[in-house]
Amino acid sequence: MSILLTAILVALFVTIAYIDSHTFQTHIFRPIFVGPVVGLIMGDVSTGLAVGVTIELMFLAVIFVGTATPPDPTLSTAIATGIAILGGGGTELAVATALPVSFIGQIATTFQNTVINIWFMHRAENAISKLNTRGLVLNNTVYPMLTNAVLYGIPAFLAIYFGADFVKGIIEAIPDKIITGLSVGGGMIGAVGFALLLSTIQVKKFWPFLFLGFFFASYLKINMIGIALLGVICVALYYYLKIDDQNANA
Amino acid sequence: MENEKKLTKKDLWKVFWNQMTIRTANNYERQQNAGFTQAMMPVIEKVYDDPEDKKEAYDRHMEYFLTQDMVSALPVGISAAMEERYANERDFDPSTINSVKTALMGPLAGLGDSLLNGTARPIFAGLAISLVSAGTGWVGPIMFVICMAILSLGVRYLGVFQGYKQGVSLVAKFQSSGLISRISELAGIAAYIIVGGFIPALVYLHIPIEYTSGETTIKIQETLDGLMPGVLGLLYTGLMYYLITKKKVSAIKLIFITMIVGIVGVYAGILG
Repeated sequence: MSILLTAILVALFVTIAYIDSHTFQTHIFRPIFVGPVVGLIMGDVSTGLAVGVTIELMFLAVIFVGTATPPDPTLSTAIATGIAILGGGGTELAVATALPVSFIGQIATTFQNTVINIWFMHRAENAISKLNTRGLVLNNTVYPMLTNAVLYGIPAFLAIYFGADFVKGIIEAIPDKIITGLSVGGGMIGAVGFALLLSTIQVKKFWPFLFLGFFFASYLKINMIGIALLGVICVALYYYLKIDDQNANA
Repeated sequence: MENEKKLTKKDLWKVFWNQMTIRTANNYERQQNAGFTQAMMPVIEKVYDDPEDKKEAYDRHMEYFLTQDMVSALPVGISAAMEERYANERDFDPSTINSVKTALMGPLAGLGDSLLNGTARPIFAGLAISLVSAGTGWVGPIMFVICMAILSLGVRYLGVFQGYKQGVSLVAKFQSSGLISRISELAGIAAYIIVGGFIPALVYLHIPIEYTSGETTIKIQETLDGLMPGVLGLLYTGLMYYLITKKKVSAIKLIFITMIVGIVGVYAGILG
């Protein structure tokens, strides 16, 4: 497949992924899915899977509450996967690419929410004050979704089409230690996401469960599926022993 | 008394599909207001005849609205019931509709963010990662998307249809039964276990320092792993938690700081 067609297909998928993240939220926009899809388009699914897993780990628990805009996982995974495959540099190269791109994506999203969508929202308000329902749908849904192609699809296209040598050149110019450092930092970034998640928990008195989960995983080497089941068991125990009993007594 | 205008199943399905656009024009001025208005469009077009009534209703919903995207379906469903009742009965002040929406925004946002984005999504993603690591290829990613799609569409379906069916009584029930605090207790337990259990696998710090005394070489990482595997990740998470909750450092800053710590650590030879 020519690089032009490849870049167009990646850009198309990225645009669709953003539309999904703004509408149905089937989550095809997460790194774990974007990685292998871009890999499929570019003919190297296994690199796509590896990059998707690595970046998903970086962003796993990064949730941003309310109005905060998180670093962008979708565009960064698409471009990082493309670069990793074109550059043949493995996942370290991908991590080094993903993080800076995720901040570029974040800036694009902030621009979208502050400038573009405020403009569309006022147009929508204007339309509906004249009872023009078509105008509401166009300005609330159709036009903002089309801007996703400009904000995210085009950068993805440019990065894949012109990027390989360009990005490879930049990355080759970066000292090895910085690339290693970025991937070391990438391994630690999960801590920020988990800390953020912990800070949103409303009932703090359950903190010992944190250590229960930790010790099962750390000493007993229970994998993540086992930890999820442990969570289900503890929630069920608490429900039956505490809440259900209370309701029965009341 | 003129004919009552009741919403049908078909109307509610239209609401369900229009609710998908809740955040398409998400904006920092009034957030999901245009999306909420589009979700209410099938209701307003159905229950009101008088253009002035329609205008008033649309204006109402163009006010500020923000909650988690999926659970926003619940206030949409409840508002549909309230608009329908107001159009037919005129027995309450329509500003109540916005009061109910505003009352629900906060608790639902907290619930949606911690339960769906904070608990369910990391669990499904963690399982998908385990599956990929086990060499099963596409199984993990596809399972992840199927689970999340069921969750997203299921929550929205329940929100619109149950919200409409139970209407305002649902809000009262919510508040009196303390359901929200109950769910947040259960979500809290799950979140603590998941975070604790995922830290050893997902937050990795490795200290490559070793020193020799006489015959034996002592590797710090091996010693630490012998005492408590993954303890560095736990400590670093604790530090981040302290900085977020007590020092109010923003997460973006901490991400930058972490990357810099990684680079500096590699240069200094204490991380690798």
